[in-house]
Amino acid sequence: MARKAKELLDIPADDFEMVVRIVREEDIAVARQMAKQLAQGLGFSLADVTKVATAVSELARNIYRYAQTGKIMIRKRLEENGGPTIQVVAVDRGPGIEDVDLVLTRGYTTYERSLGIGLSGIRRLMDFFEVVSEVGTGTAVVVEKRRRKF
Amino acid sequence: MTFKEKVVPTIRVADCLLVPIQIDLDDKTVEQLQAQLLAEIQEQRVRAVILDVRMVEVIDSYISYTLSETAAMARLMGCRTVICGIRPPVALTLAQMGIELQGFLVARDLEHALALVWSP
Repeated sequence: MARKAKELLDIPADDFEMVVRIVREEDIAVARQMAKQLAQGLGFSLADVTKVATAVSELARNIYRYAQTGKIMIRKRLEENGGPTIQVVAVDRGPGIEDVDLVLTRGYTTYERSLGIGLSGIRRLMDFFEVVSEVGTGTAVVVEKRRRKF
Repeated sequence: MTFKEKVVPTIRVADCLLVPIQIDLDDKTVEQLQAQLLAEIQEQRVRAVILDVRMVEVIDSYISYTLSETAAMARLMGCRTVICGIRPPVALTLAQMGIELQGFLVARDLEHALALVWSP
């Protein structure tokens, strides 16, 4: 787990099409907009574009709230069978999460103004979801969404 | 409240305040909108505030939280809050995340919203 956290935190940003550094609150909206554009460009349905944009919005806000700074990195991957996939990697070198299962519990939050629904909500919106975190090192969240055929 | 202080222009219709949101809601904007609406409820003594979110493409958990909080505040000031025009992809996303927009009456469109407000 610890090794994986470090590996993910050290993923080179060059491997991604879009990288948004989250430093200020406005960067949350920037990350959301970038994700939306990439998903639209790949021909995702309007519903899935909205899901990806919403998930990125939640991820960026988590970085801003709990780690102050971090990065949202987005890339497309071409799967052998099936259409393209959008992968979003959100990384920060913040305090880390002591109990990942606990923060994935719906309604759990350490923040006053929050529904405690962000991470558990993202998991429901996306096809793949993984949180890797180590206290004192940081947190990485990887999510993916496949383009669906109609 | 002067026009310049408003993040979203509002329209007074009879005893209601219409709030057509035509901008992308980010964290700061939705917080400013909350303050604006509370001030306008007090100033204009309206019976209801109707948020039209037809143009809003993303509503995430914090935006929902702040909007619901605004509805609760409005209720404490004796004012009903109606939200209308939620787009299908936004409805889908909110429902999948399990977000209910508590505190709001929900209407299909403006006409429906006014009917809800004026119904006894």
